[in-house]
Amino acid sequence: MDQFAQIIVGGVLQGGVFAIVALGITLVYRVTGIINLVQGGFCILGALCLYSFQSDLGWPLPLAFLAAVVATTALGALLGAATFVPALARLPNSSMLMLTAGLLTFINGLALVVWGSQPYAVEAFTGEQPVNVLGILVPSQGFWIAGITLIIILGIWYLMTRTTLGKAVVACAENPTAARFMGIDVARLTLFSFALAALIGAIGGAAVAPILSLQFDGGSFFTNAGFIAVALGGMSSLPGAIAGGLFLGIAEQLAAGYVSSLFANGLALALLLATLLWRPQGLFVAGRARRHDVRDELRVARSVIRPGARTVSVAALVLFLFLAALPYLVDPGFMSSLVITLILFIAVLGLDVLMGYAGQVSLGQAGFMALGGYTAAILATNYGVTPLVGTLAGMGLSLICALLLSVVTMQLKGAYLALATLTFGLLIDSLTVGLTGVTGGPSGLVGIPSFALGPFVFATPQEMYYLVLAIIVLLLVILTGGMRSGFGRALQAIRADQTAAAALGINVPRHKMAAFAICAMLASLSGSLFAFDFHFLSPEMVSTPRSFELIAMLVIGGEATLVGGLSGAALITLLPILFQPIALYKTMAEGAILVLAFQYLPDGMLGGLWRLIARSAAATPAIADGTVAERPSS
Amino acid sequence: MTETALEAIGISKRFGGVQAVADLSFAVPAGSITALIGPNGAGKTTVFNLVTNLFLPDAGEVRFYGDSLRDRTPGEIAALGLLRTFQTARIFPGMTALENLLAGAHRQVHFGAAWQMLWLPPALREEASLRRRGEALLDLVGLSRFRDVAATSLPMGAQKLVEVCRAVMAGPRLLLLDEPAAGLNDTETAELAALLRAVRDIGIPILVVEHNMSLVMNVADQVIVLDLGHLLARGTPLEIQHDRRVIDAYLGVEQEAV
Repeated sequence: MDQFAQIIVGGVLQGGVFAIVALGITLVYRVTGIINLVQGGFCILGALCLYSFQSDLGWPLPLAFLAAVVATTALGALLGAATFVPALARLPNSSMLMLTAGLLTFINGLALVVWGSQPYAVEAFTGEQPVNVLGILVPSQGFWIAGITLIIILGIWYLMTRTTLGKAVVACAENPTAARFMGIDVARLTLFSFALAALIGAIGGAAVAPILSLQFDGGSFFTNAGFIAVALGGMSSLPGAIAGGLFLGIAEQLAAGYVSSLFANGLALALLLATLLWRPQGLFVAGRARRHDVRDELRVARSVIRPGARTVSVAALVLFLFLAALPYLVDPGFMSSLVITLILFIAVLGLDVLMGYAGQVSLGQAGFMALGGYTAAILATNYGVTPLVGTLAGMGLSLICALLLSVVTMQLKGAYLALATLTFGLLIDSLTVGLTGVTGGPSGLVGIPSFALGPFVFATPQEMYYLVLAIIVLLLVILTGGMRSGFGRALQAIRADQTAAAALGINVPRHKMAAFAICAMLASLSGSLFAFDFHFLSPEMVSTPRSFELIAMLVIGGEATLVGGLSGAALITLLPILFQPIALYKTMAEGAILVLAFQYLPDGMLGGLWRLIARSAAATPAIADGTVAERPSS
Repeated sequence: MTETALEAIGISKRFGGVQAVADLSFAVPAGSITALIGPNGAGKTTVFNLVTNLFLPDAGEVRFYGDSLRDRTPGEIAALGLLRTFQTARIFPGMTALENLLAGAHRQVHFGAAWQMLWLPPALREEASLRRRGEALLDLVGLSRFRDVAATSLPMGAQKLVEVCRAVMAGPRLLLLDEPAAGLNDTETAELAALLRAVRDIGIPILVVEHNMSLVMNVADQVIVLDLGHLLARGTPLEIQHDRRVIDAYLGVEQEAV
């Protein structure tokens, strides 16, 4: 009984932390309809700032706390004003979701640059001595966390229900267009809610700092927990966020107390996945509390660049010859990086079919890489299965998982596929770490053989390079065939306007499912090759940050172009290797590039290049908005 | 004109206290253009939505070449060959004019994704023939120079034409047009009228809901006039123009204004 009470106390404490993050996410979601993945970043910044002001500068706790909160909120407001708010006016919801993922990556990278990768500990506010309440030991910091959580909840409640500002926020949440007509400055209010969320995150992060080990990438931990709590509780409900946070905290502590701490997170994620599939409106919300979302109808106005058939053939041939000759042009020590670039490009190709063509978002691409990588590696290493069969088995398993995930989520509108895939990716993350007996746990799987086809073993980077290049050429031929014909047009029509697509007799759920299946299988293939190339596979090689990285590669390279992702993959993989000193800044740069590409490079590098070529070519009709198309030469 | 493409039999729809459509029956003969007109609030849009199953009728049923449309999803209705356009042109952004048309031909594609991905000759031949059809149609409406241009960058009138062409590419057995002339200038309306006649002449019947009287009187073979959810009159454009009840309810106001 005592142990049970102790666990519940621990659960409530942890749940309070989750609830604070969840409140921030809900607040921004209510006003904008965007799931703000950057929220956890504010928590870790608040906590790390508190450490620096207290330990490095020697400031007293109240001053350090205040300074940490002010600094984090200021940064939040700055990021909001520079990126989130202006982007909101132009980008559809799915891109906004990835923009916030990019911001989170940026904050992780910023923390890495400032604080390095070592862990930090902050002293409890009022001593480490636990307090005995009716025989149960409660850490003294627990009272601080509980008190601060309560103050935040009361503050938000007061703001939302008792002030004009709060009423304006509610009006924005109900109907932004109507709110705009009523003279409410929606952009300013959006920025206000974003900064307020940063403030809440900073306070919460600083409050829980003493009970956690702080590391630069802690923001992802906070975001994951808060996101799970929000999705469990019901997306747009403030009480739901609190209930979801507490529920998650208690459930995790119970799982950790009675089963194993390794499975606590996995359990929570499995719970969330089940919730998303069967009760997407959340556990604690009666009925459907949907935002009336005019932004759902926001259609992407992308420029259309169609180089002629001859231009494409010539460009493809030049690119192929260049790639084929590359091993003879570069330093042999550079080969393995080129192989990685090509392998990651396969996963980006899959993502392009789903995101670029069908307009669906997957935040769990690395989860399928892990599925393929571990399946193939374990089969080949421990069971003597040939690498080819292992790879195919991984792809089959990924296909099954993708179909299961899509069967239910495809029927739902909005960001549910993104949420379900993110949850799936996080679940795979915790399984690869937790199932130490099968996957080797955090230290990874060693002794993976080289890829082989019959008697041909691909052992050197050079051999591997040509193998992957051959696979890519094959994939490009297949995908180009599909995308230039009816299949690709149906996917693009779905991305553009689902209602109109359905009215033309296009089976929308089936096409989305097909795109998702292709996406998952290519990620799986990429993961398998990754494992055979490295002869080693560890969870962080194929975890959720990798999913965000793949998205960045695609967006930078150019969506719906197939080959565009290659330039993105090359940029992100090779730049840090070419310029060793910037390796430290890699994560930060990745986040920044993703955010900036969404805002300033809507067609990616390849799109920009085509534009230049098309513009310089004579006799091309230029249309009113600057869109340029090249006439086919036929 | 013996066959009936679309038949509404005693359909009714009530919203709260408002009887939007009351016991309405009408037929769209194959090979003709039928226009549905009426003053604001007459129930035109409700009829349109009843026919495409966005609403279910309280009573009565809609038959399409004899098949009841009850309990069919919009996708299934499209599969039967009943194609609709939208009041505001819903052109696919991010696609060229020709690609928009080809997307409309989706149901005509028999050699699916696997054939296309393997570049098999039947799929290639099919793609080429669809392309030729699309180009011919763009030629017909005078838009061939915009073939490879982003469709959303075209002027509104051209976008409407592209949308109608896209529906025609689907090989419909009946085309339902929701106010196609809304927002078009006189020249564009004339082009639209020519397109509608051409579509009828290749054997595709059309039911058009329209405010623009000059278009209706110009192209329609049959005009159905609704008022307050009831059928007020039915006949050729000439008959309708001289129908006392219609003039009183509707056209009379316009004539006084002129």
